[in-house]
Amino acid sequence: MNPAIAIRMVGADFLKIRRKYGTLIWALVLAMLPIVIFFTVNAIEHSSSPATHEPAGGTHNYTTGLRLLGGLFFGPLVAILIGVEAGTSDLGAGVFRDIVVTGRSRIALFASRVPAALAMCWAVIVPAYLLIILGTFVFAGNLPTPSFTLLLNGLGFLLLATGALCAVAVGFASLVGSKPASIIALIAWQLVAGNLIASISSLGSARDGVLDQAVTHFSPVALTDGGRHGPTIVTMSGGTAALVILAWLVVFLGLGVWRTATMDA
Amino acid sequence: MPDDHPSEAPPPPSSPAIETKGLTKHFGERAALHGVDLYVPRGSAFGFLGPNGAGKTTLIRTLLGLTHASAGTMSLLGHPVPAERGEALRRVGAIVEEPRFHMHLTGRENLAIVAAVRGPESYARIAPALARVGLAERAGEKVKSYSMGMRQRLGVARCLLADPLLLILDEPTHGLDPGGIQEFREMIRAMVEQEGRTVFISSHLLDEVEKTCDAAAIVDRGKIITQGAIGELAGGGSTRHEVILTVDDSERALGLLSASPLVSDARRSDEGLRLTLAGEPASAAQINAELVGAGIGVMRLEPVRQSLEQRFLEVTSRLDADLAPAEVRA
Repeated sequence: MNPAIAIRMVGADFLKIRRKYGTLIWALVLAMLPIVIFFTVNAIEHSSSPATHEPAGGTHNYTTGLRLLGGLFFGPLVAILIGVEAGTSDLGAGVFRDIVVTGRSRIALFASRVPAALAMCWAVIVPAYLLIILGTFVFAGNLPTPSFTLLLNGLGFLLLATGALCAVAVGFASLVGSKPASIIALIAWQLVAGNLIASISSLGSARDGVLDQAVTHFSPVALTDGGRHGPTIVTMSGGTAALVILAWLVVFLGLGVWRTATMDA
Repeated sequence: MPDDHPSEAPPPPSSPAIETKGLTKHFGERAALHGVDLYVPRGSAFGFLGPNGAGKTTLIRTLLGLTHASAGTMSLLGHPVPAERGEALRRVGAIVEEPRFHMHLTGRENLAIVAAVRGPESYARIAPALARVGLAERAGEKVKSYSMGMRQRLGVARCLLADPLLLILDEPTHGLDPGGIQEFREMIRAMVEQEGRTVFISSHLLDEVEKTCDAAAIVDRGKIITQGAIGELAGGGSTRHEVILTVDDSERALGLLSASPLVSDARRSDEGLRLTLAGEPASAAQINAELVGAGIGVMRLEPVRQSLEQRFLEVTSRLDADLAPAEVRA
């Protein structure tokens, strides 16, 4: 296809998501508010009792912020909301058939959803990450601050974690076709099933197949404190983690393409 | 991304706008379309007429590739479908059932989304298309604030982005007020007569098809019952010739005509006397002469024109009658 047409199609899909203010506001709230609350509460505690509470910034709190956004559910929730919106936008509005009758390939119609969703997802996640960096340095006090390399690695990890889930959400939602059902199923997987599977040690290396676990491998900071207050982390090699992520993308994007190409519009 | 819009040579202009042969579509064991042979010539407004559930929308959805045919062949603008579906639909605009839009976007944004899919040349058509359907001033408003009629017009504007050689419209006057229907009819006629486009209109509104279309096909239970020019369809099913007669002495006229060999049936009606001629329509002149010769004043002598509605009811009820014994046997 002409690249200009492909870019315009992605732009059109981006427009559909961008103008869904309800979804966008929720995504921004989920991404930003926990960070704001985290740094604000810590800053207030530190100012009220500097002897017992460390400054709110620094490398340690940067790690916690990254855990909030990428390792726990706020970033993934944003990715799910936006991915599902992109995957079901045309179907939900009933315009899928009106797009199909243009004669454009259905695979192309599906393909344009993915970059649009990623662009929107990252447009929300990156400012939230900048907020973490801002809090980390503004409230650092006498604590050490993260290096530039760590900040870059943190950004890369966030883009990978949210991007992979967002793309999976686009494929899954295109397969299911229902926005509520897709959101519920993906959140249930992300918050409950995935962690549950990871915590069952008798499953052994089968737990490597959980997307969250594979993504976590690429985090530049420890996203758990040994399972005491956070999710279980399954250790695996970098190659295995990359293959698991790739498999999730291939399977769910493939299912999304298949459904989009074969469904009665 | 795959390209379904290759730039190829245009289809031969002599090819029909739509042609189907033996087109069949099954939903499970039920046949929604049963061996449909349809021929829609270019440059005409063609009505596809049938009661609800007759298979009109299924045919349109199959033609447009929204659902797969179970058997048969079809072509649009000379391109076989689905083999050359992308090229076939490049110059086709279609509204299937009611036009749907992204309600949270404006009218112009909704058109921009389709223009993005169709190709860069479609962008230049957004403003003219909006102006054509009278929505230029409301194009910046969200579609959720539009009335049903405005959404229908926006649907037509969306079709125009393709600069269509063929427009396929499914129940296009649904939701329009009388003024809107009249405007719509004029727009369709202008598209056909001034711009040379082909318009395929699916409708259960007989009056609408009769006033708008040059030719039509009547479909029922997935089968084409008859097709042809509107005039032929309206008159073609009957060999009976009737006239309405208004005279100054209907009692004497009725007695005279009842005995006439030129008349096979004469009876009173709301409009005067209704006669069924025994012979050709030209015999009405002889009847007039006999009445005048008998001193009866003739104020009106008018052939009864069979409407498409009568023809429609006749052919669909005939189908009912044909099917009834089979159903009884079943």
